[in-house]
Amino acid sequence: MQFLSGKTERQKRLFYSVFICLVAILWFTPIFWMLVTSFKPTNIAVAENPPRWIPQPFTLENFRAIFKSAGGISISLAFFNSLLVAIISTLAGLSVATPAAYALARMRFPGQKVIFWTYVGVLAFPGVLFLVPNYYIINQLSLMNSFGALILPGLGGTFGVFLLRQYMLGIPRELEEISWIDGCSRLRFLVTIAVPIIRPALITLGLMSFLGSWNGFLWPLLVLTSADKFTLPIAMVRFSAGWGDPYRGIGPSLAAAFLSVAPVLVIFVLFHRYLMRGISLGSIGK
Amino acid sequence: MSRSVSIFKLVRREVGAYLFLLPHMFFFGLFVVAPLIYALMMSFHQWRLIGEPRYIWLTNFMNVWNDSRFWNTVKNTAIFAAISVPLTVILGLFLALILNQKFYGKLWPLVAFVSPAFFGSIGILFSWRWILASFPSGLANYYLTKLGIINSAISWFQDPTLAWTCIIAITAWWIVGFSVLLYLGALQQIPPEQYEAAKLDGAGRWALFVHITLPWIRNVMFFDVARHVLLAFGLFDQVYILTGGGPAGSTRTMVYYLYSVGFERQQLGRAASISWYIFMVISLFGLMQLALLTQSIRSAETEVE
Repeated sequence: MQFLSGKTERQKRLFYSVFICLVAILWFTPIFWMLVTSFKPTNIAVAENPPRWIPQPFTLENFRAIFKSAGGISISLAFFNSLLVAIISTLAGLSVATPAAYALARMRFPGQKVIFWTYVGVLAFPGVLFLVPNYYIINQLSLMNSFGALILPGLGGTFGVFLLRQYMLGIPRELEEISWIDGCSRLRFLVTIAVPIIRPALITLGLMSFLGSWNGFLWPLLVLTSADKFTLPIAMVRFSAGWGDPYRGIGPSLAAAFLSVAPVLVIFVLFHRYLMRGISLGSIGK
Repeated sequence: MSRSVSIFKLVRREVGAYLFLLPHMFFFGLFVVAPLIYALMMSFHQWRLIGEPRYIWLTNFMNVWNDSRFWNTVKNTAIFAAISVPLTVILGLFLALILNQKFYGKLWPLVAFVSPAFFGSIGILFSWRWILASFPSGLANYYLTKLGIINSAISWFQDPTLAWTCIIAITAWWIVGFSVLLYLGALQQIPPEQYEAAKLDGAGRWALFVHITLPWIRNVMFFDVARHVLLAFGLFDQVYILTGGGPAGSTRTMVYYLYSVGFERQQLGRAASISWYIFMVISLFGLMQLALLTQSIRSAETEVE
C-alpha cells in the first residue's frame, strides 16, 4: 500500500478496517437479500424493477404465512421438529461418547488398542458409503419416517469419541489417583471431575453435532416421508415446490430460509471460539 | 495407589471400562460396522427394500461400469473437484491472511466470511436461487447489466458451463469459512519472532510467506485439501436445489446418480456398488486425512508421557 506511506500507523489501520468492513458487507449480500425479500409482498418482490433494498411496502405477511400450514406443510412445526431432533441428537451423542472416550483414554483393558484403532480407522470411510445400508437397516428396524431414524445412526459415530479422548489424555493422572483414595468411583470421577475439565471440548462437540443435525439434508430427505415429521430443510424444499415455480412463493420461502439461518447466526456470534477449536482440533497435531 | 483399595474394587474399576464403552459400541456396531458389511453384501445382490435379495456376483458393478450416464457423472464431479478444491483452498488462505492483520472491529468480518459455512445448504441455496433469478430485475442480472458486464438478463442454469460456474462460485462462497477458520488457527500459532528475524535480514513479503508461513501451515493445508476433495465428491444439495441435474444431465454428480438409482428407483444393490465406486475414487484422500489424524494422536500421546 504505497499511497499510504505518509500516513501514521493508526490511520493505515483505520483505512484497512473500513475496507475490510465494506468487503464483508458485499460478501454477506445473499443473507441481507434473503432478509430484505422476506419483508416484501411476493407480488412486489417479483415485479419491482429496480430491485429495492428497503421493502416498500414493508410486510410481515410472509412470516405469518409460514406459521400457518400451507399445502399440508407447516414450517413452524418443522422448525420445532428440527430443534427437538437437534437437541436430542446432541445430548444423546455426548452422553454416549463421553464414557467411551474416558474408557479409551484412561482405562486399561484387553482389546483397548484394537477398539481404539478400529474407531479411528472407520473415519477413513466417507459418509456416502453408509447411506444405502443404513437406509436398509433403518427400514428393517421399522424406524422409517421417525425421529429415531434421524437421531440413532449418529450415535455410532466415532469422531466425537476420538476428539474427547484427545482431551481426556490431558487430565492429570494424579487427580484420578487421589480421587480413588477418597473412595471415588470411576463414574463419579468422570461426572464430577473429568467432565468439568473437558467442558470446552464438550461444548465444541455439542455445537458441531447440533449444527450437523440442524442443517442435515440428504439423510432426512431419504428417511422422512410424512409432513408431520419433516425437519426444517425438508419442509422448506417441499413448501417451496408446492408453489409450482420457485418465484411464486419467494416471500414465504425466504422467510423460512431466514428462520433456518438465524439460530445458526446467533450460535456463531456467541460461540465462534468454540467452533474454531473444533475445526482445528480435528486436523492437526503440533 | 493406596493399599486400602481392595482387589475387588480394583477389578470392578477395570471391568467397568466395558460398561463405559458399551452404549457407544452398541450404536457403533449397528450403524457403522453392520452398514459396512451390508454395503459389501448388497453390492453383490439385486437388493430392494422388500423381497428376497438375489445374488448376482459382479453384475451391479458391471452395469454401472457400462452405464454412460455414470461416467458422465464421474466426469462432472471430477471437473468440479479439480476447479473447486484449489479455488476454495486458495480463497480460504487468502481471506485468513487478510483477517489475520491488525484492524478494528474483527467480529463483523469474521461473521461475514465464516458464518455462511455453518448455515444449512437449503437456506443459502434458496437465497442464491433468488439472486440468480432469470428475469431482468433478478439481483445478479440487474447489477451485472448495470455494470455493463452482461447485455441482457441471463438464465443462469440453462447453459452447462454457466450452471457449473454458478455452482462452483456458490459452493466456494458457502464453505470457504471452514478453511478460513482452519488457517486462522494455524496462522496464530506462528511465533511472531520468526517474522521479525527474517525482516531484519531484509526478506520481502513474498519471501516471508514462502519460507515461514507456508511451512507452518503445510499440514493444515494437506488436511484442508483432503477435506475439500471429500466434500466435492459428496456434492449433492447444490445440484438438487439449483439445477435438478440439468440442463440435460450436465450437472448430475456421482452422489446425485446414487440418489436417483438407489432411492428414486429403489435399486439398493446397484446404489451400493455406486457408493463403492465413489469410495475407490476418494479413498486416497480419506487415508491422507486419516494419516494426519493419526499423527495428531501420536503427538497427543507423547505429550502425556
